[in-house]
Amino acid sequence: MSFTKLIAKNPFRNKARLALAVIGIAIGIATIVALGMVTEGLKASVEEQLMTGGADFVVMKNTTSESASGSYSIKDKRIDEISKINGVKQAAGVYTSSRMVDGNQLGFAGIKSKDLNMLGARMIQGNAYADDKNELILGKLAAEKLKKKVGDTVTFNGNQYVVTGIFEVGNKELDSIGALSLEKLQSMDENEGKVDMIYVKINKGADLKTVSKSVEKAYPGELTTIASLEDFQKADDSLQMVETASMAISLLAIIIGGIGIINTMIMSVFERTREIGVFRAVGWKSRRILAMILGESVVLTLLAGMVGIVLGVVGIEVIINLFETPLDLVFTPALALRALGIAVIVGLIGGLYPAIRASRLPPTEALRYE
Amino acid sequence: MNNGNIVEITNLKKGYDKGKIKALNGIDIQIRKGEFVSIIGPSGSGKSTLLNMIGALDTADDGLITVAGNDLMLKKDLSDFRSKKIGFIFQLHNLIPNLSVLENVIIPMYGNGYKSSHMSKRAMKLLKYVKLEDKAERKPTELSGGERQRVAIARALANNPSIILADEPTGSLDSKNGKMVLERLKELHEKENVTLIMVTHDMNVAAMAERTIEVLDGQVQT
Repeated sequence: MSFTKLIAKNPFRNKARLALAVIGIAIGIATIVALGMVTEGLKASVEEQLMTGGADFVVMKNTTSESASGSYSIKDKRIDEISKINGVKQAAGVYTSSRMVDGNQLGFAGIKSKDLNMLGARMIQGNAYADDKNELILGKLAAEKLKKKVGDTVTFNGNQYVVTGIFEVGNKELDSIGALSLEKLQSMDENEGKVDMIYVKINKGADLKTVSKSVEKAYPGELTTIASLEDFQKADDSLQMVETASMAISLLAIIIGGIGIINTMIMSVFERTREIGVFRAVGWKSRRILAMILGESVVLTLLAGMVGIVLGVVGIEVIINLFETPLDLVFTPALALRALGIAVIVGLIGGLYPAIRASRLPPTEALRYE
Repeated sequence: MNNGNIVEITNLKKGYDKGKIKALNGIDIQIRKGEFVSIIGPSGSGKSTLLNMIGALDTADDGLITVAGNDLMLKKDLSDFRSKKIGFIFQLHNLIPNLSVLENVIIPMYGNGYKSSHMSKRAMKLLKYVKLEDKAERKPTELSGGERQRVAIARALANNPSIILADEPTGSLDSKNGKMVLERLKELHEKENVTLIMVTHDMNVAAMAERTIEVLDGQVQT
């Protein structure tokens, strides 16, 4: 038996204590993994939306500038103005809102029928709606959820709307919404003349950066353009907030897990004081005892890390499905490595004090320990 | 080391509780290489403290102590010395309960740069020597008291030490098992020419040694 095998074997001596310690740390790791999957999912969704849409970039209200009013709305006269900027082929205003439909909360995009290409939506059944009629189209997943097909009607805000078509984008979030006339959705919210974003398509051969800069220059401090995930993160701090929350919880998990490990390992060292005395008597150096206790601590937290990853993945999938949240969770190897890395750090930090304590035990006192 | 002495102790002193308790109060001992010595004395006489000093488990306050050519008053980290020169046998075998008998014998070999297979081979050879090769995979809890103490002997021999230090090795055994353990130790001393220093308060056990040193109130009785 090698020294490494001895280290791997020791934590399994007291199985009940091992299980409790593993569960304690695994819950922290599971939270990190679950939040990580949500963050990665949100990022992927934003990226997908940016990539799958027919637009080259999106114009949003600049909420980070000093002149920002705090409102996220853009006046819809900007749509026409932007469409006239050199290099712009098409500009489409989008207004978003959510409504209760047959007992389900459903997201809606208000967009002119002629601009539907900008969402990247592909009609798989039926046709687009007419802007002047009470008509709408549903994403594939929304239609499944509401159990609606082309020709059916849905009622919300006291009005009946006819489903004229079913579309698919290939993005869970977009496929879970409905789309209807821009003006009708604006008036429902009494927000006439306001859009949340403007989708912009540029001319063939035009330079994306030059055109987007021209838009920003035309409305300094008021509008910002988003062509990539990085742009989105600069303009919208919601992802950043989720990431910050995830980091704060990770830190909390490290602290709580670390305290748990200190407790577990101190108990273990106490119980094995006499044994440590024997190790010293047979010639083990202090640093070998240090390495053994630290190693055992890392074995314990690595095990907790693996359990935590499984717990996190299964847990968040169950929660997302339970609440029917339209989000594709993304689990990456980097996320697993981060979880295991945190587990190792918890093991090293938590195991350090008990390990130092064990390595400094005077052999004669340790051997006398009852 | 002079005149074939493996242990040379001169005026060794050790106190506890800021010197209020004098465990060793000027001990002078010489032990020849290959000698079998028993140290006797009542409880609290300082015999175990003396054994711990020879085995470098504890450090003296004053005096001179040289063991197997090593000045123990000079060196700070004596783990190497303990690993290579000393084999300990305790009254309570002190085996690691979750490890097999074989693994318990391997324990002292870590850090010597041996391969895992070599360590297992050597441990098996030692278990054969104490006639426990058939119980190599058992846990210590599955063995009798005498068998456990024989495993402790095998463990003490793991690194081929120059000196075996035994602290009341038969103290927790019945007479039959105690006799068996003593026979093993004596045989070891006679065949392998290992220096054997044994602390005991049993005069019959002490009589098996070539020489008996009596310690009383931290001093050797002449």
